[in-house]
Amino acid sequence: MSYIAMKGITKIFGDVVANDNINLQVEAGEIHALLGENGAGKSTLVNMLSGIYSPDSGSIFIRDQEVKLTSPRAALELGIGMIHQHFKLVEIMTAQENIMLGQKNGIFLNKKAHAAKIKALSERFQLGVDPDKKVYDMSVGEKQTLEILKVLYRGADILILDEPTAVLTPQETEKLFKIVKKMKEEGCAVIFITHKMNEVMAIADRITVLRKGKTIQTLDKTTTSPKELAELMVGHPLDLSIDRVQVPQGEVTLQVKNINAKNVEGIEVLRNISFHIRSGEILGIAGIAGSGQKELCEAIAGLFPLESGDILFNNESLVGKSPREIITCGITMSFVPEDRLGMGLVASMDIVDNMILKSYQNDKGLFIDRKKAAEKAKKIVKKLDISTPGIHHPIRQLSGGNIQKVLLGRELDSDPKLLITAYPVRGLDINVSYKIYDLINEEKEKGVAILFVGEDLDVLLELCDRIMVLCNGEVTGIIDAAKTTKDELGLMMAGEKKQYLEGTEIV
Amino acid sequence: MKKTVSILLIMCMFLALALTGCGQEEKAPGENAEADNSAVKVGFVYVGPASDGGWTTSHDVARKQLENNLNIDTLYKESVPEGPECEKVINDLIDQGCNVIFSTSFGFMDYTLNAAKAHPDVKFMHCSGYMTNENMGAYFGRIYQARYLSGIAAGMKTKTDKIGYVAAYEIPEVLRGINAFTLGVRSVNPDATVHVKWTHTWIDAAKAKDAAVALLAEDCDVITQHQDAPGPQIAAEEKGVWSIGYNMDMKDVAPKAYITAPVWNWGPYYEKQVKAIMDGTWKAENYWGGMEDGIVDLAPLTENAPEGAKEAIEKVKAEIIDGSFKVFSGPIKGQAGEIRVAEGETLTDEELTSMDWFVEGVVGNPKQ
Amino acid sequence: MFRMQKRGEMPKTKIVAIRILAIILALVAAAFIILLLKLNPVDVYIAMVKGAFGSVYRVKEVIIKTIPLVVTSLGIAIAFKMQFWNIGGEGQICMGAFLASYVALNYPDLPKPLLISIMILASIIGGGLWATVPAYFKAKWRTNETIITLMMNYIALKWIQYLQYGPWKDPKAMGFPKIPHFTDNAILPDLFGVHIGWVFALVLTVLIYIFLNYTKKGFEIAVLGESENTAAYAGINIKRTIITAIFLSGGLCGLTGMIQASALHNTLSVEVSGGVGFTAIITTWLSALKPFVIVIVSLLFAALVQGGSFIQTAFGIPQAAAQLLQGMILFFVLGSEFFIRYKLVWNKSFQSISKKE
Repeated sequence: MSYIAMKGITKIFGDVVANDNINLQVEAGEIHALLGENGAGKSTLVNMLSGIYSPDSGSIFIRDQEVKLTSPRAALELGIGMIHQHFKLVEIMTAQENIMLGQKNGIFLNKKAHAAKIKALSERFQLGVDPDKKVYDMSVGEKQTLEILKVLYRGADILILDEPTAVLTPQETEKLFKIVKKMKEEGCAVIFITHKMNEVMAIADRITVLRKGKTIQTLDKTTTSPKELAELMVGHPLDLSIDRVQVPQGEVTLQVKNINAKNVEGIEVLRNISFHIRSGEILGIAGIAGSGQKELCEAIAGLFPLESGDILFNNESLVGKSPREIITCGITMSFVPEDRLGMGLVASMDIVDNMILKSYQNDKGLFIDRKKAAEKAKKIVKKLDISTPGIHHPIRQLSGGNIQKVLLGRELDSDPKLLITAYPVRGLDINVSYKIYDLINEEKEKGVAILFVGEDLDVLLELCDRIMVLCNGEVTGIIDAAKTTKDELGLMMAGEKKQYLEGTEIV
Repeated sequence: MKKTVSILLIMCMFLALALTGCGQEEKAPGENAEADNSAVKVGFVYVGPASDGGWTTSHDVARKQLENNLNIDTLYKESVPEGPECEKVINDLIDQGCNVIFSTSFGFMDYTLNAAKAHPDVKFMHCSGYMTNENMGAYFGRIYQARYLSGIAAGMKTKTDKIGYVAAYEIPEVLRGINAFTLGVRSVNPDATVHVKWTHTWIDAAKAKDAAVALLAEDCDVITQHQDAPGPQIAAEEKGVWSIGYNMDMKDVAPKAYITAPVWNWGPYYEKQVKAIMDGTWKAENYWGGMEDGIVDLAPLTENAPEGAKEAIEKVKAEIIDGSFKVFSGPIKGQAGEIRVAEGETLTDEELTSMDWFVEGVVGNPKQ
Repeated sequence: MFRMQKRGEMPKTKIVAIRILAIILALVAAAFIILLLKLNPVDVYIAMVKGAFGSVYRVKEVIIKTIPLVVTSLGIAIAFKMQFWNIGGEGQICMGAFLASYVALNYPDLPKPLLISIMILASIIGGGLWATVPAYFKAKWRTNETIITLMMNYIALKWIQYLQYGPWKDPKAMGFPKIPHFTDNAILPDLFGVHIGWVFALVLTVLIYIFLNYTKKGFEIAVLGESENTAAYAGINIKRTIITAIFLSGGLCGLTGMIQASALHNTLSVEVSGGVGFTAIITTWLSALKPFVIVIVSLLFAALVQGGSFIQTAFGIPQAAAQLLQGMILFFVLGSEFFIRYKLVWNKSFQSISKKE
């Protein structure tokens, strides 16, 4: 008997076939990885399993019973629990309150009984959740564990994790893997979505590879290799290494001096940060999501107000300049947020209009010149292999990866002197990711100073010259990428301070 | 683009309906007259709803009489604001085949005149104004005579010697009515005062009622109104005091409060005018008829009326009809006690139609 | 148990089908009301169409009603494009009409072209400045523009009322609260039998189309409407863009006030806005903020109003009933927009699952 069987699932959105006759089978006590590039149809598939979409054709069987899943609640009643990338927790409530939220408990809550049940579950799966801790006091990893406990409490024995490690430190990832393995021991089925090969090899029992909406193959971990998986994912042979291009480093392009900043709630988000980047150098920034990366990038781009400190670009202070003036200096910033569209692109507009977003103000007169932009759009579509029905198609209708290529294409095309790029490969296909790394290296060779905010430590280690680690808005170290390890970075991400390079002692 | 398509489709549907409709030609009632141009078709422009139970209903009753007695078609448009919309409504009515227009509110005057100038072949009758044209007559009734009579009943009824008057606008027509009423009140009760509240609406029954409630709070125990609809009557009924209506017999609205009302009887005049138009003898006139013509009257007194009122009113009414009594004959004092009309003098119609002052005994401001 | 489910992108043919179905349903549902009034629905519908397009006069009337809807909708479209919910059209119309009337009443003897030009300018400034107040508040203190624009409608209406009943009251009207008529010099001329406002409306449609699609400001408005973060990122001066766009939005509404006061009312009165500021929100929305579609939707809307008014007199049905019919047709058309975005799902499996357990 198989726990979950999805047979011949097809789902069409408009003209796009997201899932085409997909088959998936997951057994009890199995960790099943769903591997695929962006737009391969992983999310669509699990969204159907968790009742968010319903399939256009095909059948879903849970414990050999055919079911129709019409809502997340219906799915949960059948024991299917999904952990999304964005947590659905109420910050001001405790863990226990969050768990009990929305439960049918009658009018009065029997707190004691629930507390006992929560404690029992937490111990059984070794979750280590403190039921009285407020969510706003929790780390990202704790929140994720709480989400897991929440669905377990509601009776889930099939757990779907959608790229769960994207927001975790290596140490937190370890802990998550322990929990997942424990669940497997308890006889649960786990579906694990990812595009990181090392994670697949670390925990999955079987792997189903999806490509372009189709099931390519289901493999046993013991009989496959990362290279084989990657090639199945992409559909052709691959070279999986990044070169660190050696170029002579020039003058200091960007000098950040002791900057401090507070967010709207008055919480310190940047604390006394100092660093520099030379032309022809890539400075990587590592850190758990939300450690101040976004604020740092925005501060340099003139979008986030500083409390104190100075930012010098070619020895000229940027503090007090408008974003427009900073763009004109030759600083380009591209921050790819989780939803890919938060900043930098206009979803309802076409590629051409998105091309002119930062350059239209240089046009003379009242009107906008779209001719040049159209040529640029065509060039970028071709260069980055953006799949779109045309350059006049709203980018909202493109897949996430393609949207991102539009953003990066534009930023790289603007001949910057300082390139700030955050999460440029977030959720991109392996192919395109490597293409992006090449493009970044190309810029480096041209002598551009590059600030690269990344999430994949392997990539940071291979691509960057130096790596600066942020934790909680503070620099915990700036180290030579060639002389460090993932473990060391992980400890720094968790807050352990290391010596700066460049001779300055840590404060 | 999608929307354009769908909207065009909507349009096509309407047109298709129209075409199929044209095939089996059955004219909408509104268009009957187009076929027979010699027939008279009368259009009415109302300021309130035809069923307001007051001013507009009094005209609508007359309209129905026209239809029945002369066997002609009429159209009406209700709730027309006193603004340029009026002119547009008149044009619509003419477009729908009307060749006689009655517009029945003071605020329609300018627009009726505009329309009259633009349509020389259509006959216009405007109620309660003063402007005329070759093809536009003005008509009204001396309702102040009936108001005087109702004042007698109110003056005899009040115990607090305070009477409330809910009034619409500070225009001569309304001021005249208040003055006549007050003269009637004080002819039987020289101590009584009449308290005026302005609403600046003819038709808003809720506002009128609110004004009446305010007057009741000031200790008035008889309420009367110059409003189209009977809101103030209801206020009096609810408070358990007395009321005098206007326009129509309002005893059904407030059976325990209502005493009587100055009422309109437009039917006979309308019939006469339309007949004259049909005969080709019609001429634009400025008509201002009184009780002797029957265009205005006092509704029958109810059992709420004070004792002796019937006799007192009958006597004055007879004198008004035979011309021996004129409401605005001196001596009449103004609000400050100054003589406005000397003994032996009577206000002319011109003075009446431009009245902008209050008589002694009125509490309120005749100007804004 | 029913449940709403968001639809994906829908094929065009299906969208059109839904819209047609909506119209048919509207006509069928309204037919019941008409039957209650003891009338033949088919006759009434035919009369509605005839009432709107049955004669040259009626077509002209429809056009006259279309003009203010188009100009106001264009103004509102600019604001909506920026996701600034300007529901203060009424007030902006009033204030535009107010300043234009001020000019018309105080300088009645200026030569016609000059006087009308100054009136146009005054009305744009009047409506524009009135709209700039909530725009400034929003730019400066992030206040909710929906509430402020709405509330300012009442201030403007009461202001006109005050003028009409007080300082501007026509002394010749014997106490009746009306403002004196403009001189002929202050009245917009006719062209082909309809006042020249229709030319304004068409020219503005083209201009606003170009403005929104081909100018820098139009582009900035669109970006800002999509995301303030993105706008800041692109170096757009957010405050200035908000204020400029809303000045234009209010200015167009103000111009509507001038057209209505000058060409139609020949004076200022509390009736000058006549609900156009609110109706235009519906037409703007139905047009998906597209200038040329606004013209078509406004025309159809005006036809619906004119047709509704016609059947009221033609069949002697109460005004409320005629407006009910218009309302129902509108309700179904707007309702269809909902079903284009969502579908109803019968939650069968949910129950069967519950039973099994």
